[in-house]
Amino acid sequence: MKESVPHKKLPAPLIFSLLGILFVLLFVADILLGSIIIPAKEVFHSLFSTSETNETYRTIILSFRFPKALTAIMTGAALSLSGLQMQTVFRNPLAGPYVLGISAGASLGVALFVLGFSSVLAAGVFTTTGAWPLALVAWAGSFLVMLLVLFVSMKVNDIMTILILGILFTSAVSAIVSILQYFSNESMLKAFIVWTMGSLGNVTKAQLSVLAPAILAGILLAFLKIKDLNAFLLGENYARSLGVSIKSSRIIIFLSTSLLAGTITAFCGPIGFIGIAVPHICRVIFKTANHLILVPAVILTGSIVMLFSDIVSQLPGMQTTLPINSVTALIGIPVIIWMIVKNKKFVSVS
Amino acid sequence: MKENNFNIELQQLSVGYEQPGGNPLEILKAINFSATPGEMVALIGSNGIGKSTLLRTLAGFQPWFSGNIQISGRNLKNISSKEVARIMSFVSTENVRVPNLSVFDLVAYGRFPYTNWIGMLSEQDKSVVDEAIKNVGLQGFENRPVMQISDGERQRAMIARALAQDTPVIILDEPTAYLDVSNKYEIFHLLQVLANEKKKTIILSTHDLNIALREVDKLWIATDCGNYQGAPEDAVLQGWLNQLFKNDHVGFDADEGEFFFKKEFKAKVKVEGEGLPLTWTLRALNRKGYQIVMQAECDFLVKAKENSWELISEGNQKTFGSVYQLLAFLEKTS
Repeated sequence: MKESVPHKKLPAPLIFSLLGILFVLLFVADILLGSIIIPAKEVFHSLFSTSETNETYRTIILSFRFPKALTAIMTGAALSLSGLQMQTVFRNPLAGPYVLGISAGASLGVALFVLGFSSVLAAGVFTTTGAWPLALVAWAGSFLVMLLVLFVSMKVNDIMTILILGILFTSAVSAIVSILQYFSNESMLKAFIVWTMGSLGNVTKAQLSVLAPAILAGILLAFLKIKDLNAFLLGENYARSLGVSIKSSRIIIFLSTSLLAGTITAFCGPIGFIGIAVPHICRVIFKTANHLILVPAVILTGSIVMLFSDIVSQLPGMQTTLPINSVTALIGIPVIIWMIVKNKKFVSVS
Repeated sequence: MKENNFNIELQQLSVGYEQPGGNPLEILKAINFSATPGEMVALIGSNGIGKSTLLRTLAGFQPWFSGNIQISGRNLKNISSKEVARIMSFVSTENVRVPNLSVFDLVAYGRFPYTNWIGMLSEQDKSVVDEAIKNVGLQGFENRPVMQISDGERQRAMIARALAQDTPVIILDEPTAYLDVSNKYEIFHLLQVLANEKKKTIILSTHDLNIALREVDKLWIATDCGNYQGAPEDAVLQGWLNQLFKNDHVGFDADEGEFFFKKEFKAKVKVEGEGLPLTWTLRALNRKGYQIVMQAECDFLVKAKENSWELISEGNQKTFGSVYQLLAFLEKTS
């Protein structure tokens, strides 16, 4: 028998404090950096006083950068948390909003709406107030998929079946989207492709006032289910024998998941790899399986990763920006590969 | 420690599961089993007879078709899952593989039904967990990751988890599968101590019949011809154990108290000798399919001595230094 080493881990409060400092630094950096680099003093004035402010800076900060930074925080937190919940409930390290087809459901809603009615809509649908109905159809799409997953999970209690269904559903959706793209006009097509690349910057203050409560509600539901999430780690049999009511618990967790992932997809486009990668990063740095630590940890770490991705995507000092989806993929995928190779723990969550 | 006064009764119970097509498949019918406090019960039966299904049904994981499960006179159907979690704990065959989970954390799962909404352990919960770890002999393993301990140790940790749940009844689905022989005995012994000293009702399924016959208080026997319950000795005397196997070649030898494999005999052999050399020479010849006879008319004679074996066959005599050499020679010549 090989001698096993007891856990050597840093105390969680220390890690949380360090991450907290990193979070504040990145949040400030995200506001300062961009195509125009704004002095820190101006940011302070814009946020906390009305006088002696450069109006241009003020507009950039209040109307663009501040909402965008908030959106980045919420996006990172929401996608990471929904990924964590799915990985735990499905006991599969590769589960996430992408794999179960929830992002695909949202995409289908958007595709049907934008491309299906492209003859009657203006190309500005993604950037103007027309983004509102867009958000609603994406929302409806992801909820629909979640309901489908729920329905199947009640019929067949087999988790692998549900995952395979998610993959099939994603494929079916991309087939339908391809057909729609084929028949749609050029400007709508471009608008749709831009949406699929994801964007944090198009979220207006009015949209933020819907985004924020929806994300908070999702986070709240996740906190209520921390104990059950821990039980799910041992598998359904053990969870049940500990007194967890599997069905109702699953419904609440799925609700939280689709609220988090669906909302973000609706407003920011399908953003990948954060949902899968961040929970794994947190398991490695916190060395724990306890959701009492993991839930706040993925919220904080997800925000940090997303703020960092946003800073990178803005290419500070340059006039162009990169699609956020490409940045998260380029950050997330190496992390996943690194973990597969280095730890081999990735192969199983439970 | 709560006092255990939970009597378990299965009355005319019929269990099974829904098939993918929607047709229910009944696999065990008209079961009448019971268990009283402090009893260690082993459910035995051939593969596929429905042992796991029965245990899962008893633990409240799945509905049953007809009949009743009574827990101290109350129908299991009328007991909420939260309350069931304080009456019965369950150890399944599933291997728990959670990275970063320590033995202490695993055992602490047992406190789940007692902790607050966020699962915070009180000082009392912690001492119950420590006590459970001590009871299964895993002190010093608290901080080890469950992924890095042996199968035997993990099974002990799972039993500790059930102990920490502090339930009067513990149900275990094949707790000794995948374990080596000494671990099998140790786990059975541990469970027996828990039944005797802590007055737990322990219900387990097993294929380790020889160990079960020596260690348990009661057998629940599921066979194709019917279901029986009683002390292991009753099962032997009534001949129930012979019904366990559909296959005619396996039977239970009531004299030896062991299962045996029936073979076609190759030749008749008479063995002379005494003590251990005699016993084990008989076993070896029996294993190889020779019929042991007492009379003079035999195909050959073996004289088993302390360190040598003499083979006398049709007047020829040959001596061997080990049982292995004797058998090898017999295989070659016959």
